[in-house]
Amino acid sequence: MTLSLTYFLISLFFFTTISMHAVRKNAILVVLYAVQSLAVVLLLMYGAWLDQSIILSIVALFALLVKTTLIPRFFGMLISKNLITFSSSTYLKLPITALIVAGLAVLPSTHVFAPLLAIAPQHAHEIAFSLGAFFISCFMLVNRRDGMSQMIGLLSLENSIVAFAFFAGLEQSAMLQIGIIFDVLVWVFIATLLASLAYKQFGTLDTDTMRHLTE
Amino acid sequence: MNTLLIIIGAPIVAAIVATLSKKITAIEYTSVSAIILSTGATLFLAPSVAKYGIVVFSSIFAVDALSMIGMLITSVIGLAAMIYSVGYLRDEVKKEIIGHSRVRQYFVLINLFIAAMLLACASSNPVIMWLAIEATTLSTTFLISFYNKATATEAAWKYLLINSLGLLLGFFGTLLYLTATATAPETFSTWQTLVANSAFLNPDVARIAFVFILIGYGTKVGLAPMHTWLPDAHSKAPVPISALLSGVLLNIALIAVLRFRAITDATAGGDFTQNLLIALGLFSIVIAACIILIQKNYKRMLAYSSIENMGILALGFGFGGVATIAALLHMIYHSLAKSTLFLSSGNIFLTYSSTKIAKIRGVLTSLPVTGVVFFTCILAIAGLPPFGIFFTKLYILFAGAGAHPYIVATALVAFAIVFIGFLRHATGMLFGEPTEDIIPNIERDRLLIAAPIILMTLLATLSVYLPETLATLLMNASKLI
Repeated sequence: MTLSLTYFLISLFFFTTISMHAVRKNAILVVLYAVQSLAVVLLLMYGAWLDQSIILSIVALFALLVKTTLIPRFFGMLISKNLITFSSSTYLKLPITALIVAGLAVLPSTHVFAPLLAIAPQHAHEIAFSLGAFFISCFMLVNRRDGMSQMIGLLSLENSIVAFAFFAGLEQSAMLQIGIIFDVLVWVFIATLLASLAYKQFGTLDTDTMRHLTE
Repeated sequence: MNTLLIIIGAPIVAAIVATLSKKITAIEYTSVSAIILSTGATLFLAPSVAKYGIVVFSSIFAVDALSMIGMLITSVIGLAAMIYSVGYLRDEVKKEIIGHSRVRQYFVLINLFIAAMLLACASSNPVIMWLAIEATTLSTTFLISFYNKATATEAAWKYLLINSLGLLLGFFGTLLYLTATATAPETFSTWQTLVANSAFLNPDVARIAFVFILIGYGTKVGLAPMHTWLPDAHSKAPVPISALLSGVLLNIALIAVLRFRAITDATAGGDFTQNLLIALGLFSIVIAACIILIQKNYKRMLAYSSIENMGILALGFGFGGVATIAALLHMIYHSLAKSTLFLSSGNIFLTYSSTKIAKIRGVLTSLPVTGVVFFTCILAIAGLPPFGIFFTKLYILFAGAGAHPYIVATALVAFAIVFIGFLRHATGMLFGEPTEDIIPNIERDRLLIAAPIILMTLLATLSVYLPETLATLLMNASKLI
């Protein structure tokens, strides 16, 4: 029962990560990020419940507040303020993107990453999912032209690392976890402020327009 | 603990004062006083670290020789940058380029930036070090976009995104190393416990982890091909920030790589990390050399020189042996020379209002002191004797010549290209007659002259004389890598 719960959550996490590549509307992208974050937070809550730890429960609640409420709200404000309903296109066309995503999804199962799956053999499948999401999020960062998608790609990458750490048994102490979540919140605050500034100056968040600084 | 509290706490207090105070003079005095206090405490701590090898403050804070070198570089260059900032910003306010609120914002952020770098050095826990290095990214983003121009925003955006991606990869690598202590009872893993437990780390996991660390923190170091953010950020930031970014921050990130390298070598042998460091080091040197030769912007030229010097450091640490000590010494010399160059380039910018090499003529006539300081440090950074950089480069190349002759030969050619590039650009800027519209009154401001002169004097002194404490720290640090 517990195994199927964690398996369901990591599958949901993985599915939302892949779906981000197919989505063009920024608002849906934010919703997908919130769902992905919720899956991670539920994993953390489950871990806290298994350990019967109040402090880890507080960490999970803090993550819930930051990742599923505050961050989507920041992004929502950015979208409505700058009317950036649609995200810009990708560098690669959808079929090629889908092929690369498929390749990245199976990459953790290759022999190169076998030592990482062996860190916690009982969670090898879940670690493979987390690593797959990790690579797919990295790809989103380089394939999207839109600044907002890049920000969400980066946050998705951070969620993948949290999921990996959870299954590999590498969770940090509560204080450090709170520090990391706080860091993510500050990062989003700064990134959205900078994105607003960029929108004012460039009239778009398409990073292709940022080509003034070349040799 | 009190000493460390002063070292890190003083800039934080100055940042709080800058947030709350509305008087610019009070903010300036507090910021300079705080960094003087912090530097004094760092210098006070250095002999103890040299004597005992490591000074442990708590379960998460300990200063060893490598940390101490990083902290000394941070505080000394931080002090020079802070003094210079006062004069630089006063001039910009006078010219109505910025307003008082921007000055306040600047001092809040620069103090937080310095505190974050000191925290990164003093932390013995890899995750706290990561958090502190991430804090340097967050505190400097709005310093890079300080002038609110489209190009500055573009540079800040690239800086934030690329560095954050790099640091997340670095964080992933960090977590992989923690598998060595996953079963240990300590709440916080330290560099010392990680090295001691390296036998429990799977060598394959260590190799994968080091690749992530090198790509991740290597992005922050500015090693090619992850260097793309660096010339943009360093050229768009206000010059005291460029001095700190080039002269200090790159070294702090490199220290993080070296910490993980020691764990990897203890687990998987030295060849793997050695080859990676040599490859990225040489690539950085060659890329930087080619671009320096054709560069049109003097701030970007200095930024590419930082990439070249980070490459030299990677090469030195890759070669190992005597090259390790030479690389550590090179780190100090480069920090001093590059910061001096950035600060003196600030005087050139304030006078000529341009960063284009073609538009700068007759600096020796219009700004004689700045011109001499700039030219001296150009010669130093290009590796001309009797400056220390000549000897550190020589030792690094000698150390690698036996085992890697082709790499050394390629590096030597690249150094020659850099030398030609620097000399060509510098002579064009320094000699000739300045145009008539140039008003050379910058050097009347002692703050704008004092900081570069102090750093250059320190560089010249350390080139011929190494204090015993510093020599001991260098020897001890080389044993940690």
